[in-house]
This record gives sequence, structure tokens and C-alpha cells, in this order.
Amino acid sequence: MIMRGVQQLLLPASPTFIWASLLAALLLDMLPFGRNPWMPDFMALVLVFWNVHQPQRIGIALAFLFGLGVDVHQTALLGQHALSYTALSFFATMIHRRLLWFPMSSQAIQVLPLFVVSHLVDLSIRLVNGDAFPGWSLLLAPIIEALLWPVVSVLLLAPQRRAPDPDENRPL
Amino acid sequence: MSLGTLDRSPPPFFKQGASAFSKLLLFSAIALFLMVADSRFSVTQPLRAALATALYPVQWLAMQPVRAVRAVGDYLTTLESAKTESQEASTKLLAQALRASQVEQLTLENKRLRILLDLREQLKVEGMAAEVLYDAADPYTRKVIISKGMASGIALGSPVIDESGVLGQVTRVHPLVSEVTLIIDRDLAIPVLNVRTGVRSLAFGDAAGGGGLELRFMGSNSDVLQGDLLTTSGVDGVYPPGLPVARIDRIERRAETAFARIHCIPLALVSGVRHVVVLAPQSSQIAPRPPESAPVTPVKKGGRS
Repeated sequence: MIMRGVQQLLLPASPTFIWASLLAALLLDMLPFGRNPWMPDFMALVLVFWNVHQPQRIGIALAFLFGLGVDVHQTALLGQHALSYTALSFFATMIHRRLLWFPMSSQAIQVLPLFVVSHLVDLSIRLVNGDAFPGWSLLLAPIIEALLWPVVSVLLLAPQRRAPDPDENRPL
Repeated sequence: MSLGTLDRSPPPFFKQGASAFSKLLLFSAIALFLMVADSRFSVTQPLRAALATALYPVQWLAMQPVRAVRAVGDYLTTLESAKTESQEASTKLLAQALRASQVEQLTLENKRLRILLDLREQLKVEGMAAEVLYDAADPYTRKVIISKGMASGIALGSPVIDESGVLGQVTRVHPLVSEVTLIIDRDLAIPVLNVRTGVRSLAFGDAAGGGGLELRFMGSNSDVLQGDLLTTSGVDGVYPPGLPVARIDRIERRAETAFARIHCIPLALVSGVRHVVVLAPQSSQIAPRPPESAPVTPVKKGGRS
């Protein structure tokens, strides 16, 4: 019997759902919203989420591969997002035991440096490669990503919060 | 409070795999290697093409909402705007009718004159229509992705035009799609000719990323005026001559530099273009370079040979 309330246990995460969410994030990144430096990187957000919640399943290797995909889509230098996602995933793995003990608002503040580092890696590779600075609104991107952290946490944990023994009163 | 998970299998105690730090080192090294290989040696094209093909279904899926919105927008065009557009089109047609009817005669005349003057035949230009899939979401560069690739016979370096002027150049070809770098990208240069004066020069994408072009290396006393039309000069072996590129917008002559800053506005719809024509690169038609004549042996001073 699973107790609701203080010590809530979650259902195991389904691998299908993890992959579907990663693909959905890739799809969101690919939606043609135009060239905005402040656009949050949904892929980074979902990768950090699964790295924190399922470090056994989603690790650095997968982050690297998705980074390569984003590079090809954005016509960027091959390996640039791969490097920034690798760093992101590493730091997420580093903090995954600590992070979940905090309330949601503190979690958002604690993942903010991760996104800042990821965008910094991205920006420094661009600048070394001779690209122009895209504008200060770039600073907004990690902040928006950190603000989206609670939203993503609620959305992606929802399937695991379902009842373990669905009946007529609790169909989900 | 951490949330426990009701996993059916216990986490492995001893089989943990490589440590996160060693993985970080390994994948960072691979990423750095890929970046160097991509920017310096350009050997990663097969990997990129394979990834692009694998990503194509997802990209196609991401394009669907945009297509739906466009289709609905086209469907909901009011009668009023349709009428206006039709009127504009017929006005344009009238304006072009005279020139269009003279083309046949001028072409014939041009051909005869060229034969008379013993000039080389003008190059033939072949084109292929393509649809713009999306603007690359990269805020650092100006590129678009078009819907034709290696499978349709797009060649690397082909010039791309739209209905009003030169748009850019194909810089990467994947099996199903290609990347077009726009003329306003700061890394692209295009040789142009000022139609009014006949002076050739080079136009570069605006370094500040303002969406314009810059005519560089023109002396501050050079003969340029606001509103001059710049067309391709055809000396590069890439773009066919005579395609409109840009119009001069603003000239800043400063006392402290020997060069004028000349800003131009591209004529092609660099943002929001939907249909383009990819031309075959001219380099395939250009006659090969004549063989080097035998080096003349310099006569030694005072020597008898």
C-alpha cells in the first residue's frame, strides 16, 4: 500500500515516456520561432530534469548525442551544443542527490547556474570562432529556463504520480 | 523532501559504469575534436549529412504547425486584399510588357553583335525552384534551410535568388535539405558592380548583424550615390552577371579614415522569403584556365648562351 501525503512514493518512470519527452523537447526547439537570443533551450531543460531524476537511464552520453542533433539543426559548428550539453549533464549528475531535497523554488535557483554555464560554454565557443555577440537579451535565456523548471517538474513527474492501483474512483 | 521512486529493480551497487567525471572528459574531448575537425579540416560532412537525414522526420513534424498556419492564412485572405494584389500584379505586368517584348529582339541582336565582335557566348543559367523550410534558429548567423538537397542535384556553392534579387549561396548540402547562407551573413562576400558607374567592388554582410550589406574598401572620394543599384558583376565564377543585389542606402564619409562606410539594403526578401530558385554554379561552364606558357628563361646579364 502506498501512502499519499508526506512520504509519497513515485511509480517507476516509463522509458517510453522519457524518450517521448526528450523528442518533444527537440521538437519544441525546432519550432521556427525565429532568431531570438533569449529563446529558452527546452532540450537542455528536459535533459537536466532526467539527469536529476533518472541518472541511471539518461546520462552524459545521451546529452552529447542530442547536442549533436541540435548542432546540425541550427547549422552551428558541430560539437558546440554537444559540449555545452555534456557540461550541463555532468553538473546535473553532480547535484542530483542534493537537489531533490529542496522545495521547488530553491531547486529553480540551484539549477540556474547550470544553465548559465551551458550558455557561457556556447557563447565562448562562438566568440572564439569569430561570431558576433548576439545581444544582451541572451542573459534572459538561462533565467527563463530556471523559471520553467517547476513547470517542467510538474509536467514530467505527473505520469509517475498516478495511482498504483487505478480503480473506478481514481481512473488515473 | 526527496521523492522516493517505487522501482521494481534495485539500483546496481557495484556496476556503476564509468564515473561522471571520466565521461565528462571523454565527451568533451570528442566534442572539441569534432569542432576542430569541422572548422579547420571540414571532414565531418558525412556525419553531419547522416545526422541531418536522421533529424529530417522531426524537422518535418516541427514544420507542420507552420504550414497549417500559412494554409489557414492563405485561405482566409479577404476578397479586398486579393483584388488589390491582382491589381498590383497587372500594373507590374504592364510596366514589364514593353521590356519583355523587346527581349527577343535584344537577345538576337546581342547574339549577332557577340559573333560580330568575336566575343564568348553568354553563359546559360539553369534554375531549380525550392521552398524555404525554416530560418536557422541560430542568432549568430544568417542562414535558411531549403527543401532540396543532394537527392535533387543541388551543388555546393550554387547561387540562390528570389523574385527580386540575389538571396545567398548554398554552403552545405545534405541528402534531403541544403543550407543557404544569406548575403547579409557577416561571413559572406559577393562581388558587385555599380550599375551607374560600372565600378566593381565587394559587398560584405553587415558585421553588426543589422540585416544589411556593407560595401568595403571604397575610397572616401569614390563615386557612389545614395540609391545606386548594385548587381552581380560575374567575375567570381559563381553568380551569373546582372542579378540585382542591393541598393545603396547610406554613405558615411569620415575624415579620419581613407575609406567610406557604405551601407546597402538587400533587394531580396532576406527575412520571410518562402520560395527561391537555386541556380547552377557558373564555375562548371567557365572555360578552363589556359595552360601556362613555357617560362621564358631570363637572359643572364652579360652572359652569352
